[in-house]
Parts: sequence; C-alpha cells; structure tokens
Amino acid sequence: MISRGHALTATLALASSLTACGDAGTPGRAALENLPAFCQEVLPRVDAFLADFSTPSGERYGGTAVVGSIGEMPNGMNAFVSSTVTNNQHQTFVNLMPLVRVDENLQPQPWLAESWEFNEDGTEVTFHLRDDVYWHDGTPTSAYDVEFTYRRAIDPQTAFPNASFWNYYDQGPDGVQVLDSLTVRLRMEPHSEPLDPWRSTAIMPRHLLEDVPPSELARHPYGSRCPVGNGPFVFESHRTDESWSFVRNPAFPEALGGPPYLERYVYRIIPEQTTLLTELLTENIDFYVAPGPDQVPQIEADQQVDLHVFPYPGYDMVIWNTRRPQLSDARVRQAIAIGTNRQEIVDAIRSGFGEIANSGVPPFHWAYAPALADSLQYDPDRARELLDQAGWTDRDDDGIRENADGDPLEIAIKYNLGNQQREDIAQIMQAQLEPLGIRARPQVVEWATLLDQINTPDVRDFDAVVIGWRVEFRLDDHEMLHSSSADDPFGWPGIQDPDLDTLLDRLQLVTDREEATPLWREYQYRLLETQPVMYLYFIDRLAGVNRRLRGVELDIRGEWASIQDWWIPAEER
Amino acid sequence: MPPGVRPTDRPVLAVLVPGLPQLLRGRIASGGFALLLWIFFVVVVVVRWDRVSGAIAAGFDHQVALATLILGMALVWGWSLRDALRTEPEPRVGRSQWTLATRAFRKNRVAVLGLMAVTLFYLTALLTPFLAPFDPTQQGSLVAERMLPPSGEHLMGTDQFARDVLSRVLYGARVSLSIGFVAAGIAITIGTLLGAISGFVGGKVDDMIMRFVDMVISFPRLVLLITIIALFEPSIFLIITVLGLTQWPQSTRIVRGEVLSLREREFVQAGKALGYSAPRMILRHVIPNTLAPVIVAATLGIGDTIVLEAGLSFLGLGIQPPTPSWGTMVADGRADLLGGWWMSTFPGLAIVFVVLSFNLAGDGLRDALDPRLRSG
Amino acid sequence: MTRFLLRRILGAIPLVLGIATIVFFVLNLAPGDPVSFFTSPAVTPEVLEQMRRNLGLDQPVHVRYWRWMTSMLQGDFGVSFARNQPVREIIADILPNTLILSVAAMFLAFVGGVVVGVLQAIRQNRFVDSALSVIALFFYSMPSFWLALMLILIFSLGARNLWGWPIWFPASGMTSVDYPFMSPGAQLRDRVMHLVLPSFSLALVLAAGIARYTRGSMLEVIRQDYIRTARAKGLSERRVVLKHALRNALIPVITLFGLSLPFLFSGAVLIETVFAWPGMGRLVYGAITQRDYPVVMAGAFMFGVIVILGNLLADILYSFVDPRIRYD
Repeated sequence: MISRGHALTATLALASSLTACGDAGTPGRAALENLPAFCQEVLPRVDAFLADFSTPSGERYGGTAVVGSIGEMPNGMNAFVSSTVTNNQHQTFVNLMPLVRVDENLQPQPWLAESWEFNEDGTEVTFHLRDDVYWHDGTPTSAYDVEFTYRRAIDPQTAFPNASFWNYYDQGPDGVQVLDSLTVRLRMEPHSEPLDPWRSTAIMPRHLLEDVPPSELARHPYGSRCPVGNGPFVFESHRTDESWSFVRNPAFPEALGGPPYLERYVYRIIPEQTTLLTELLTENIDFYVAPGPDQVPQIEADQQVDLHVFPYPGYDMVIWNTRRPQLSDARVRQAIAIGTNRQEIVDAIRSGFGEIANSGVPPFHWAYAPALADSLQYDPDRARELLDQAGWTDRDDDGIRENADGDPLEIAIKYNLGNQQREDIAQIMQAQLEPLGIRARPQVVEWATLLDQINTPDVRDFDAVVIGWRVEFRLDDHEMLHSSSADDPFGWPGIQDPDLDTLLDRLQLVTDREEATPLWREYQYRLLETQPVMYLYFIDRLAGVNRRLRGVELDIRGEWASIQDWWIPAEER
Repeated sequence: MPPGVRPTDRPVLAVLVPGLPQLLRGRIASGGFALLLWIFFVVVVVVRWDRVSGAIAAGFDHQVALATLILGMALVWGWSLRDALRTEPEPRVGRSQWTLATRAFRKNRVAVLGLMAVTLFYLTALLTPFLAPFDPTQQGSLVAERMLPPSGEHLMGTDQFARDVLSRVLYGARVSLSIGFVAAGIAITIGTLLGAISGFVGGKVDDMIMRFVDMVISFPRLVLLITIIALFEPSIFLIITVLGLTQWPQSTRIVRGEVLSLREREFVQAGKALGYSAPRMILRHVIPNTLAPVIVAATLGIGDTIVLEAGLSFLGLGIQPPTPSWGTMVADGRADLLGGWWMSTFPGLAIVFVVLSFNLAGDGLRDALDPRLRSG
Repeated sequence: MTRFLLRRILGAIPLVLGIATIVFFVLNLAPGDPVSFFTSPAVTPEVLEQMRRNLGLDQPVHVRYWRWMTSMLQGDFGVSFARNQPVREIIADILPNTLILSVAAMFLAFVGGVVVGVLQAIRQNRFVDSALSVIALFFYSMPSFWLALMLILIFSLGARNLWGWPIWFPASGMTSVDYPFMSPGAQLRDRVMHLVLPSFSLALVLAAGIARYTRGSMLEVIRQDYIRTARAKGLSERRVVLKHALRNALIPVITLFGLSLPFLFSGAVLIETVFAWPGMGRLVYGAITQRDYPVVMAGAFMFGVIVILGNLLADILYSFVDPRIRYD
C-alpha cells in the first residue's frame, strides 16, 4: 500500500521545482551540479575572473535586451560544428572572435588580429594578434589558439563542415607556424579572397580543448553547456529549446569598443511567427529576427517598434536539371525565365522585400553588374517565340506544347516539405507558365529525401527544384556550374559550357579587383544566356525592433554585427 | 392533427412543397428540414441552371453533383409524399431496440440538429461544383486581388494567391469530409474485425491482439503519424491510410467487450451447436449485434480525424497544395491572423462546426443506443 | 498489491521494448540521411563520411540496433546527432517542463470536465445539458493550435495593447528573462502567469472528453437502486448527488487519467510550438524531421514508460476509491 504521505512529498517536490533557481556566481546560471564535470571546473574560473572587474559607468551602460528568433542554436558556440547563420553570428560577434571582421562594405578590418601582412607573391600571410584579449576564464588569447583552431579545422577527423574554406591553404605540417605568442604565419596558394576563412570561423580556446580527440570535439560539452569565449559577451546559461543568455564581458579591450553597453543579452527561441509578433508588440522581446513580409503592416502600425530592412547574403532560385530532354535546350530555359513574372513573385510572397536576381552576384557585392538589372524582363510573347523556335509547339491542341516526338513540355518543380515560401513559388510558377503551354507541376518532397534525390550523382531525380542559397562573401559557383563538377553532389544543373568553365577558373585566381570586375561582368552575361538556373530574387531581410533598443545598425553582415553598440536608455530599462 | 387541414390536402401540398404538410402538422424538425433541403435544391437549380444543365459534359465532379441533386430532390419529395399519404399514425406496437433508440434520439434536440448539420455539410460538399463561385485553384492577379478582405464579390475574401476563400472552403469540405469518412471507415473495419476475432476466439489470439492494442494505444498517436508522414511523401492517400491505421485500437476494445458479452448468449450458442464455422458466426451473427457502439465510435472518429488533419497541417504534414483542405488553409493562414484574419478564420470555423455537429450527433446516438443512458 | 504491481511492470517491459523496436526500424528504413543536413558545397564527401563514422552510422542496421538496445538497457541513450549532446542531458532539461505543463493541464481538465459532466447529468436533455455540451464540444472541435493562437491574440496582444485590461498573460516561454533576479514569491507568480495560457489550451481540449465520460457514468449511477433508496429516504438532491452518486460515478473516470497521458505528451507538440514551451513534443518532432535517431528513440521510450506508469497509477487510484477491487 502506498501511504498518503508519498503523494504529499510529490506535490512538494513539484512546487520546489517550480521555484528552483541557480545559486552559482551569476544568478542566471543553472545550478552547477547539473552540468558536466568540464563545466563544473571551468565556470567557477570564469566567475572568479569576471569578479575582479568593476561595472563600467556611463549613462548607456545597463539593461537587458531580448532577441526572439524561430530556431534553437544547435551545437551553440562550438565553431567546429557550426552550420547555421545564427550560430555563426553568435560565434563571430557575440561570444567568440575571429581574426578579422569586415565592415559594412565587406572590407577586412582588424579584430583579434591587430594587423597582418602578405609576402610578395601572396603565398604567406602573417597575423599579429592583439595582446589584450583574454578568454573569459582569464587565459590570454594567443597565436597558439590560432594554430590549434586551424589544425583542428582542417583535420578530417574533426569533420568540420567548412573545412574546404581552407582548401587553397597549405595543409601540411609546415602550413602554419607560430612565430611568437602573438604572431602566426600561414602558407597558401595565391587566391582572390585569402582572408575570408578567418572572418567566418572564430578562434577556439586551445587551453580548454587541446586534449579532446578531434573526432569528439563536436560533442564536447563546451558548445552547448559552457562555452568560454573571448568576445564581448560572456556565456551565462543555455536552456534547451528555450533560451541562451549572455552577460557583458567587462574585460573586452577598449580599442575594440570596450565592454558592451548591455548588461545582459538573451536569445529566446519562439518557433511560431504569430507568437513572435505578439511578443514583439507586447514588448516581451526587443528584437524579432526575420518577421514574415506579411507581418510588416502590423509592425509598421505599432508606435513602439521599428521595421528594419537590410540586405541578406542569399537568394532563391530554381535549378534546372539540364540532363532532362525538356530542359536541355537553353532557349526553353530562357523562355521560362522571361515567361515567369518574377516581380509578381517578389511582390506576392515577399511583399516586395527582395530584388530581382539575374545571377548569383548580389547587389551589395563589388562584382555586381548593375547594368544587368533590367535583363530578362517579363515578356510572355518573346517566351512563346523562343519555345516555338526550340521546336516545342502545341501539336494536339491540349494547351500543352509538345516536341517533334510528341512528348509534352512537362516540368515537375520540387520543393521541400514545410517550406511555405518555396511552395508558394512553385504554385505561382505553375499558374504563370500554364498560358505559355508549359505544364509545371509543384511536387513536395521531405527535405532529407529531397537532398538524396538531387545530390546523388547517378540519381538526380528531379526536373526542377526550388532552393534557397546562401552566398559567402567570397563568391564561387564552381561546385554548381563548372562542367567538372557535373557529377559531384552539387553539380545539380549538370551544365556543360566551356565559356563558363574558363571564367570560373580564372575568377578564383585574379586577386586584383580592377582586373576581376570585367571578368565578373562577362561571367554574369554568360549566365543570362545559358540559364543553368533561374535566379529569382535576392532576399531583403527584415527585423522588428523595439524603439527602446538603440544603436541597432543592420547591414549585410547580419543581425548581431552591431550588438556591442546596442543600448537602452536608463528610464526604459 | 391540427384542425383546418384536411387529410386530402396533404398529398397535393406534399407534391408542390415537400415538408410543408409535415410542418403544418406540427412536426417542426422533420418538416422544416425537408422544406429547407427542398428550398436549397430549388435555389441551386434556379441560380446555377447553366452549370446544372451542362453538368453531364463537364466531368466527373459535376456528374456526381448532378446525381446528388437529382437523388436528393427525389428523396425529399418521395419521403414527404409517402409520409403525407400515410393516414394512420405510426405503429405503436413492436417496440424494437431500434424504434426505442430512434425515439430517444429524437428527444435530444441538439443531437438532431447535429445530424441535420452533418447531412447539410455532406450535401454541400457533393454539390460544390454547382455552388462555388470561383475555381479554387485559379490564382487571380497577385498585385490587385491578393488578400482582399471579405466583400460582395468575395464573400470570404481572397488568400495570399488571390484565390477565392469561399470557393476553397467549399472545395476543402470535400477533402476534409472524405478524409474523415474514409479514415474512420478504415479504422472501424479493422477495429471491428480484430475486436470480434479477439473476443470470439479468445485464448492466445485474444491475448496477442490485446497486447498489440495496448502497444498502439500507449504510443502517442501524433508522434506515430508525424514519424510516418515526415519520413515519406505526404500524399493524400498516405495521410488517409495512416490516420485510419492509427485509430482502430479504440474500436477494437469496444467491439471485443461487446462480443465477450454476446458470446454466452443463446443465439450464439445455438449457432455453435448447429456447427456454423467461426468466420460465419463472426460476420453474420456477432458483428451485426455490436454495431451500435461502433456507429457511435465512427461518428466521433470522423470529427477527431478532421481535427487531427488540421494538426498535421500545422506541422506542414497535412494535405499538400494546391488541393485545398480546411486544415491546410487554417495552418497556412495562421501567420496572417492579424493582417488577414479571414484566411484562416473561415476554414477554422468550418472545422469547428462540422466536428461539433459530428460530436453532437455521436453523443446523441450514444445516449439513444445505450439503454442505460436513456432518460425517462 | 506488490505482486500485482510487479506483474504489471514486468508485463510492460516487452511493450516498451516493442514500441522502441518498431520506431527504430521505421526510422532506419526511411529515406534520408542524418548527415545530409550538413551538406553544403563547402562540405566534401570525405567530411560527410567522417561525420557518419563519428556518429556510428557506418555500421549495418542490425549492428546499430543491437548497440542501441544494449546501451539503452544500461541507461545510456547515446548522443544527439543534431545537437551533439548526450540525449540523457537533453531529456533531463526538457522532461520537467513537460511534466509541469501536463500536470497543470490535467488538473484543470479534470476539475473542469467533472464539474461540467455532473451538471450535465443532473440536467439530462435539458437546456443546461445541451448548452454545456455544445460549449465543451466547441472547444474540443477547434484545432488546438488555432485555439492557442486565438488565446494569445485575445489574452496577450488584445488584453495589453488594444483593450488595456488590468491583467494580461505572456504569450510564450516558461519564465520572464529576469526570472533569476526575482524574489521567490515573484518567481512563483511569474511561473504561474506563463503557465496559464498553455495549460488552458491543453485542458480545454481534454476537458470535453472528461465531461462526456463523467456525464455518461453519472447517468448510469443515478438510475441505480441505491440512489433511488437514498432519494426515497428523503435526502436532499444535492446530498444524493454529491455524497452518493458522484463518488461512484468518478471511478471509471479515473481510467481516463491513464488514457489522456499519450495525448498530453504528443498532442502537446502543437501547443508547445505556439507557446514556445520547451517540451518533449517539440523535441521529438524536431528530432524526427532532422533524422536525429537517438533523440527520437529516447523520446519514444520515455513516452512508453510514462504512459505505462500513468496507467499503473490509475489502477492504484482505482483500488483506493473502489473497495470492490483488490489486486492480490
């Protein structure tokens, strides 16, 4: 028999779990005893180090800013696994530091590295690190950390997703050399964007992770449980699927802007857009990451919040499988490109927040050719002509064109399950292409399955697929458009064009922008003619920001690039 | 019979306006409903004469609608006439269980209303090709006609593709109602068969089936659904089948319970003595006697399935576009609840009313069929 | 009693293992590859191969099954593919959240459902009966996520911004961001405020079923001889209903306790998503879409265990309230 006493204990236990809170150094921390041994050892050191600093004084200092976003940051601050844009920004702008940053014009700027120089022929780069950057546990950040990060990143055992960023670097034993504790030299082959990997990947702490076998780095508790960074914000706590919180790093070097104004910064995970909007409008969050374009009127109507619009390094496109008979002719692909009213698509699904794309070179990039903006205007009559010329005419009066063999011009447009925007694109294209005599059939496939279907070289089970693409600041379409990549996973279109090949090869080697610009223009014109993919639009990213949060500057680098300058007036904290 | 209406008037009246004679006789529910249906049919024929007259050439959907229309009118008309011609009051002798149940059901006004609403919903769904003002998948001008609020032209507004929401709700009724119907049908068939076998055969078989039922019941249904649908392509057939295949255990339990009590009854014992085979006993004699609770379970199951499909749509796993289903419409429109409430509210209300009707009817049936719950 | 419990628990073991096995094979036979989520042009096939090795995915299915089974029986659920964290750790974070929400919702649902059901039963087929069943079923018929969004728009956005009600509820999360700095009293209040909307959304759906069941059970009891006797004795109707009928009518309602657990755990995925409640439903759903096998498997296992424990608890309660039942 169970006595009634047990039930009572259970109730009490529940009540106490309702109010349980951490009693570690920082009140926001989870109780230490629930954390892995590594964290139990490291976090007290962090608290001890931070305790020596006084709170900076000044009217802007203080307050908590809350950012609400739709997704969790899996793997957190572990730069060796990072794959989402949000994670990456938190690593490079919030909790950790890369060697270099870029400004809003994408010019490299000193960050962890105070300066750097290349040798004559561009085969060696030497970084000089700042001497006043400390890991949050008090250990100085040194050139050995850079060496450690590089060696681990390129180690196949680590399975770092972005390891190929360093492909043109020397990966042998002499590839990296620590000259002194603040100077490190790396060897490479000359390249047009040699610094880019050092912008996108944050430096990791050697003294904490050196003894971890590379194949176990990914699952080390460092990432999600107790990251110890060196950036402007110190990790405070992470509640799975709920929130991340960070506190000001009082030791952040003055020369890099000093300790941030905000005392605390919280990233909340709210997976539903209407809820996010409600939280923004009821002032429970200060910053709504990427609201839907349809929510813009509500954000604009509210007196207390501002809408920010800024460029995003990404675009949506439709990939053609040029191996398919109905899509092998460039004229058919051109006809679809001008027979699709892309402006209407942008207006309908992005409420106009996007810019028509005619190539993968985004408008914010120096290689962008503005003259191209008006190409491929919507012209259904010209599209019909092109289709006629290519031999596709309606031979049996069913409204759909056929070729000489009587095969109908049918294209299945695949998109991934649960992606509303891509689903919408496929549906609108279906409606727009119907009058041209093209039967486009939207087809939904679950994401993991879709990847299997389009990436497996001997399968390529698709006619067309709607896909979003994120560009690196270092542009390179080699994997997708070079004929030698046609049988690699990302050789989706399978296009064989010698002109494109030549241009792609040359572009990666030309280091001088003056010299490269005309080549880039030529490349973009060639894309217009060959149409291996139909570029739809570059995305304009949106953000809803409460007016009490000041100093928010948003640009191509992302939401968190200016977080050090965010501040909240004292009366609104 | 109220004074003033002579028996001879009624057939004539019934021929002209079915339902009216019954209404005049004070039978508000049946008479009123018949009259309502009649008016509904006549209005459809008059207003949509162009579509009705061209239905035979216009494809399967229209043919079905035409058949429904003709059959529906004939039924209402025939019932009214026969009912009016009957001079004697309803026979009071031989109160079988079914008559008792019918009488009990009629007393429950809400349940009767529910049943009528269900009938109306199905009729509307079948007649949709005649009713819908626009093509549900036809996109209008994405610039000028997108997300228009309800107006005279678009009674329920337009959606993000400038499609008419009313037409989509009407066409969605067909998808949602058939999902519910077919899935519940699959579940009931499997459940009844397994339950009957389990209860009738007993022993090891019973044990095994019931262990299996326990397993399926203790596993969260939605997780099972998500797992299967997310892993494979969400076609309408997959969704219906999976919904049906995860719903049967409840009816298995119900039927097994009934069968256990039937097994010892005289007619079953007699059948056994006569040497009837087990399959014959189960199909011919056991199952028909367990129908009452099964009907109730089916009615409630249809409603649950429709709501569940909406839940799946929320996760992006429901019926895929451009096929309109209510669940998908509510789920797709939810991000615009503040900017375009009409896009998700109307299909949402449709779900609420249909499911509510099914549940009211089902509850009424249960009360009526279970002698222990009948009032008075 | 002890023997009965032991027998039940032993009987439940193959059940849970069976569920886990089915889920394992469904997941592993489905198309899609856990590491494909890392695919990008920057990722070479060699890196993917190494990831597979690091995750143990290079082994054949039966080997993986055997490994998973043996380590699970030792209490080790492995490491999440997508989050690279031990699954045990993730579940330890998430499970309490689910329990808080479930217990609150269950409490509201049972109290509300029983009250409505009793009211309906004593007024069978009258206006109150019909009205209550229409109202209860109205909420039951709403897609739960839609109901939840409506509650947010009314009691959070509308209450605060449009109508300026004195009280409004936060739309998401379990606590405010400054929770750690609050006094214990304020912390409890903060918790409760965050719990109100999600637990009500869940409870409203559940309550209709409980009300229906209570009503049926109550009707059955009211017709029994001893109630007639009680009435004949001249006891007040109130006393008859509350003292004699209700106690006996509630017995079968207890079985619903066990039956509603699967719903609270999985049906909650929609509610958890809308209210940004970090619970098991969301965890497992996310894991399914990411092919995060270890998390899905652990989730399935936890579901099975909790449901069985719930049923067991229902049985025990049963033996408390109904003296006729003895488990020997």
